[in-house]
Amino acid sequence: MKRFRSLLIFLSVMGPGIITANIDNDASGITTYSVAGARFGYSLLWTLIPTTVALVVIQEMIARMGVITGKGLSDLIRENYGVKSTFFMMIGLFIANLGTTVSNFAGWAASMEIVGLSKYVMVPFGAMAIWILVTRGSYRVVERILLFACLLYFGYVMSGMMAHPDWGLVFKRTVLPDVKWDNEYIYLSIAIIGTTITPWMQFYLQSSIAEKGIKKEEYGASKLDVIVGCSITDIIAFFIIVTCATTLFSAGIRIDEAAEAAHALKPLAGNYASLIFAVSLANASLLGAIIVPLATAYYICEAMGWERGVNKTFKEAPQFMWIYTMIIGISAFLILLPGAPLVFLMVFSAVVNGLLLPFVLFYAISLVNNEKLMGEHVNSGVYNYVSWGTVVTIIVLTTFLIVTTVMPLRG
Amino acid sequence: MSFFGEVFCSEIIGKSVLDPKGEEIGKVRDLAIVKGEPLPKVSALIIEKKKKTFFLPWTDLNIFNKKIIAANVYGDSLRPYELSEESLLVVRDILDKQIVDVNGAKVVRVNDIRLEGLNSEAVLIAIDVGVRGIMRRLGVERGGEDLFKLFKKTLPYSLISWNYLQPIAPKLTKISLTVPRQMLSELHPADIADIISSISQNEGVNFFDNLDVETAAEALSELESDVQKDIITRMDSERASDIIELMPPDEAADILSDLPADKAKEILEGIEKEEAEDIQELLGHEEDTAGGLMTNVFLSFSPGMTVEEASEKFRVQARDIETVYYLYVLDKDEKLVGVASLKQLMLAEQDCHLADFMETNLKTVAPEEDEMVVAELISKYNLLALPVVDENGYMHGIVTVDDIIDILLPPAAKRGRRKV
Repeated sequence: MKRFRSLLIFLSVMGPGIITANIDNDASGITTYSVAGARFGYSLLWTLIPTTVALVVIQEMIARMGVITGKGLSDLIRENYGVKSTFFMMIGLFIANLGTTVSNFAGWAASMEIVGLSKYVMVPFGAMAIWILVTRGSYRVVERILLFACLLYFGYVMSGMMAHPDWGLVFKRTVLPDVKWDNEYIYLSIAIIGTTITPWMQFYLQSSIAEKGIKKEEYGASKLDVIVGCSITDIIAFFIIVTCATTLFSAGIRIDEAAEAAHALKPLAGNYASLIFAVSLANASLLGAIIVPLATAYYICEAMGWERGVNKTFKEAPQFMWIYTMIIGISAFLILLPGAPLVFLMVFSAVVNGLLLPFVLFYAISLVNNEKLMGEHVNSGVYNYVSWGTVVTIIVLTTFLIVTTVMPLRG
Repeated sequence: MSFFGEVFCSEIIGKSVLDPKGEEIGKVRDLAIVKGEPLPKVSALIIEKKKKTFFLPWTDLNIFNKKIIAANVYGDSLRPYELSEESLLVVRDILDKQIVDVNGAKVVRVNDIRLEGLNSEAVLIAIDVGVRGIMRRLGVERGGEDLFKLFKKTLPYSLISWNYLQPIAPKLTKISLTVPRQMLSELHPADIADIISSISQNEGVNFFDNLDVETAAEALSELESDVQKDIITRMDSERASDIIELMPPDEAADILSDLPADKAKEILEGIEKEEAEDIQELLGHEEDTAGGLMTNVFLSFSPGMTVEEASEKFRVQARDIETVYYLYVLDKDEKLVGVASLKQLMLAEQDCHLADFMETNLKTVAPEEDEMVVAELISKYNLLALPVVDENGYMHGIVTVDDIIDILLPPAAKRGRRKV
């Protein structure tokens, strides 16, 4: 009976953690995993375990903050650190998320080309569909579509199975690190962490928990939601790496993009595996293209105190609607513009994300330890060392990633 | 000291405070405020020198404007100051926080605060919620003006007078004025529900505590059921009883059925006996059936009444009843025999009997019927309310169209609030 009751609580609280984690695997995440698998086979699989641990540590703090304060992260930063810090952070978030949206539209365009549809038709179509869905559609429809889209991620699990990997070796490489002192290897292992722990998802998770109005007493269930969500993220990542490692790495095919992976899979793992891979990429890209612009518009307006909400009109919430529309419009336009500096833009956005992350994490951990806000729910002694350790490690690694991105060390 | 004119808080913070010889005694870090009539006033400056904070009472100031702040005391006579949670500080407790604009019925964020001289005191006259306020804080107000001029527009001042503001943090409610409190009760309950759902739970509960009982009862019915539950659980039972007593019994029953049994019992005990019985009766039905949706407060008449008698009874009883558009005609055994609409009553001759024109081909629903069936019937026959009648013909209550709409479309507050 008691177990049944706790299951009920979990089901009612479930959602924010799992959805956040799923959307985290957007086009740029999938690209990183595919490239990692194709370039180094199974030998990067072990990085997923520390990544999951770091992700859980961070997301747990964010979730706890959402439950206890009932406020979003941008709200708390604004109230505790003033308008200047908030303003520059929001500008950074806008640029970084614009880049993320561009890479999501790029993923959508590429996956549509594989299925044989022209990007000049599908990108405007996708952009319009997203825009109309969110601005004109009812909230219930949006939520249902999103939940359904989350299920489609399991396509990657299927294509992983279809590749028939050597499970013994896969397991061994997952638990036993196989470190190669190669620049690209180090770069990719850090990129996996960088693409998994992003600034915007911290804002997204905390707001959606605060919005859901989860209570202190239900926090246990919410924690479980976060842990399950983080695990799902990395299980999907695991299968993407396995798929590419089993097929592309063995055949010696190098790739730079997720869509190339889908293409290269055709002769190696069959039409279905290739198609599933492409459709899953399309799904992930579109999902990211819905959420990231919406989330960005929301946090900026929350921090600046502007009217916001998907059911508002341009007249009621002009800033919100314009930010949302602009991000989608600019991204779609850049994808279609011949000769647009897409690669530069995505690298730039990765750099801005990397620059932003230390600040976001630093503010988050300071806020979570603020007794005025959190009361007895601040980090406990030992756990505080663990979380500071995680935050500092991630900050060091992302800094390294930015430096190597700006000044590539190849060789 | 006299202070004339106006100044923005952001123009004061960080400014040097000079002693009579023109030496700096520190920089302004915050302003302490106290409740004043008619507006909250500045009681002291909190100044900072070499990482230490000092307290400089308003009365020790000589000059206070956006160019110069000078005291008539020297640095060594200043009292050290411990930042305590007790005192109210402008920067720490108001700036950047959310506050309710009662006039516009929405939650706004404080970008800047405007002070004005009044009888030699500095009072909080208004808050800035606009882009101009943000630009001033960032130090680019001039640049912003020029930029707007480029597009042939003027940068608007978005100031809201303190008279129309209701703080939401528990600490600040102490300095809130009587005007916004009065205005709060004039707000539409749906607007209040919107405000409550756009602030955090704690703030929402605190905001709700500021409402008078009648307004609270109306606003409560507009809220989502889990927010209702939250607010009632955290309230003391006596106030909860007062509020719930004023709600229509069907809505009261809905709220009580969501609460833990002992809390619900405690609240019910505080409600007047007659009302409590109505609620108790409704609590017996399953939530998603006609019985769970219905209210047992409706207008009933006997078939032999004349229109004149019925109108008289209507005027007396309709005052306290939510839905009065139909007159239900019951026989001696409380069995439903006919329905007349308010329109029919108004148009009929005074000496006519209800039995002469009432509708006897009745559309009714059984108490255990599913809510969707109720919705279909109401929609099919275009009714405002549907009587709930059991197999013996005994009338238990009515389901009104607004309860059905709430099932088909979630409450406005809910739709506006959730995001992806």
